[in-house]
Amino acid sequence: MVRDAIAQDLPPRLQERQRRFAGNQSEPGDTMEWTRILAGRGWTVPHWPVEYGGCGWSPMQLFVFQDELIRAGAPDSCWGGTHMCGPVIYTFGSEEQKAKFLPAIRNGDYFWAQGFSEPGNGSDLANLRTAAVRNGDVYVVNGQKIWTSCAWASEWGFFLVRTDPTVKPQRGISFLLIDLKSPGITIRRIPQINGEAELCEVFLDNVEVPVGNLVGEEGQGWTYAKFLLDHERTTSSFIYFNKAAVELAKAVAASRTLDGVTLDRHPRFQGRIAQLEAEVTALEWSVLRVLANEHFQYPEAAAASVLKIVGSRLQQALSELHVDLMGAESLRLYPAEVAERPIRSSLWSEESEYLTSRALILRAATIYGGSLQIQKNIIAKIAFDL
Amino acid sequence: MDFNYSDLQRMLLDSAERFIAEHFTLERRRHLRDSGSGLDDTAWNTFAELGWLALAIPDEFGGLGGSPADVSVLAAALGSKCVSQPFVTTAVQGVHFLANAEVPRTELLEQIAGGTARLALVHTEPGERYANAEKRQTQLKPDGQDFRLTGQKFFAPDAALATHFVVSAELPGEGFALVLVEAGADGIDSVNYPLIDGSRASDIAFNGTAVSLDAILAKGPDAAALLVDAQDKAMTARLAQAVGSMEEILRICSSYLKERKQFGQQIGKFQALQHIMADMFVATHQSRSALYQALANSDKDRAARSKALALAGITIGEASQLVSRQGIQLHGGYGVTDEYEISHHYRYLLTLEKIAGDIDHHIRRASGT
Repeated sequence: MVRDAIAQDLPPRLQERQRRFAGNQSEPGDTMEWTRILAGRGWTVPHWPVEYGGCGWSPMQLFVFQDELIRAGAPDSCWGGTHMCGPVIYTFGSEEQKAKFLPAIRNGDYFWAQGFSEPGNGSDLANLRTAAVRNGDVYVVNGQKIWTSCAWASEWGFFLVRTDPTVKPQRGISFLLIDLKSPGITIRRIPQINGEAELCEVFLDNVEVPVGNLVGEEGQGWTYAKFLLDHERTTSSFIYFNKAAVELAKAVAASRTLDGVTLDRHPRFQGRIAQLEAEVTALEWSVLRVLANEHFQYPEAAAASVLKIVGSRLQQALSELHVDLMGAESLRLYPAEVAERPIRSSLWSEESEYLTSRALILRAATIYGGSLQIQKNIIAKIAFDL
Repeated sequence: MDFNYSDLQRMLLDSAERFIAEHFTLERRRHLRDSGSGLDDTAWNTFAELGWLALAIPDEFGGLGGSPADVSVLAAALGSKCVSQPFVTTAVQGVHFLANAEVPRTELLEQIAGGTARLALVHTEPGERYANAEKRQTQLKPDGQDFRLTGQKFFAPDAALATHFVVSAELPGEGFALVLVEAGADGIDSVNYPLIDGSRASDIAFNGTAVSLDAILAKGPDAAALLVDAQDKAMTARLAQAVGSMEEILRICSSYLKERKQFGQQIGKFQALQHIMADMFVATHQSRSALYQALANSDKDRAARSKALALAGITIGEASQLVSRQGIQLHGGYGVTDEYEISHHYRYLLTLEKIAGDIDHHIRRASGT
């Protein structure tokens, strides 16, 4: 039923753009267009509590729904809204904030940007320096954020800012919602390794933010950020993408020949595909164990780090395999934007337009959201007290 | 064995390192990539003035008679700054074709040395993956005393910047043949496109292009051997470029680990990152050894040389992946921007690994399959 509904609603144009997209997340315009369509069925935030517009589905049902969206080739949702600041707002936000922002997130009115990392503070996030100083009814915010995905296309952002420089770093951080059209905000798109410029720097110069945009209490921002990351324990596995990437590898291998035999029959490629499929399959079961609330011997966060480590490495390994399967064909550079690409000649495969670009930007998968090294430190510390 | 540089190599290296470091800044390379033909005219003239374009040309044709080891010194220096100018295709591979043709092309060799001619190999056909001297679909059809060239070629690196093409084709009665064709000749349709390292490649259709009898560089088994030898020379130079790039990555990353601070200290103080750096050092060191092994075998018979080169290709290809991937990892988010050197080395090394024979190709070649 869900499969039919998605197939019925998903415009072929969006599906094609998603199939050919060159980055690791959909283009913001496509995301918002699809969110507005999906809102018609009330399915944009199925994981939220029913009172805020959720569907009341079980974790397993949600898992299947996400899987179906990816299988159908639908654009991503605006994760910053639906999965990051949305849950923080309905859990810790004021009634005014809930009334203003939750319907907007549900309906796809705004694209949301995440303002956490700073040039000097990436892995060491707790030392962030962007300062918010209370002045009557507003906070005056000064500082700089970096790696803010799609800030150029976003209406709003959720930011971690320092409201108290005198206390322990984690205690002086607050969670602010900022209108990105506010005076004093400058956004610079950062040219990337794959020709996209989705990542941004956000400069805040005496930006006035109404105190009503503070979520929860001053000084509790670090707690909310951790809540937000814990809330999406299984997201970092990118399990749906990894499953799709295995199928894509098989298709790419089957469509190319060497010495008259398709690549999926050549032992080395055959072996790599099977090994990666094995790892993805095990990862899926690691995800299901978390969703089923298995009682772990070790802290649950250690299991979440497993998902992040394996999920990010598999994204890279599968994208490397895609590139290797294409051989020299993988070296052609295409414009990141689908509409700007030249009309394809019959000599070139469609996948050559985007698989290398994705592989290039996926080098960041073991960097963002807590690097591979940070995840290993977490496991050593919380699982084994080392 | 003497692994130290000869006087010629030391001189070459000094001039190369100085010019390349000063000229090929990141800003300049990004500009070259994004505008025009991709050819750096100023640099190409300097290459000619410094004698680099004559380095591999035998003495008897007025060149410097440099050995593959001499070429590799220069290639490594070019690799250290990700230079994607058509040096290997013209001054190494192209020179080999012209100097070892049935009738050596003295005049064109002079033009190459002078910087006015550039050569590209136009060999691969649609659907092929690292083709050897196999039967070509592209045909040389007799037309009186001469021939007409007809066929579709795919992915010819640097062809967009070339003044002449070396084209592989089927010659009736002879089999595999290599012919020299002027890039501007009638009946040629090219589609040029950029590659991820900033260079250009082309798909080229020949629609009855006129080819005179004396444009045939070699035919039959001689042509097949000429192709393999020229490609092997190019491969050797590319491996040296990769080694140069990896050695530069070590320098870039070790500086970054000392400069970047997190958690109140240099990130280079963290053992997890020290071990990554050490792994990169090990792989790079092994790569230079593998290059020397290939160079030491470069004057052996074709089978021994091919095996040696394939083994070096495997070692250096795998090391390139490890070093470039970890190089990005050590840089964090900055590693995936176009504004830091490391992402350019990543794309450069990926291109070197795949442009004319990838790791899989070398494994099959080394194991004789």
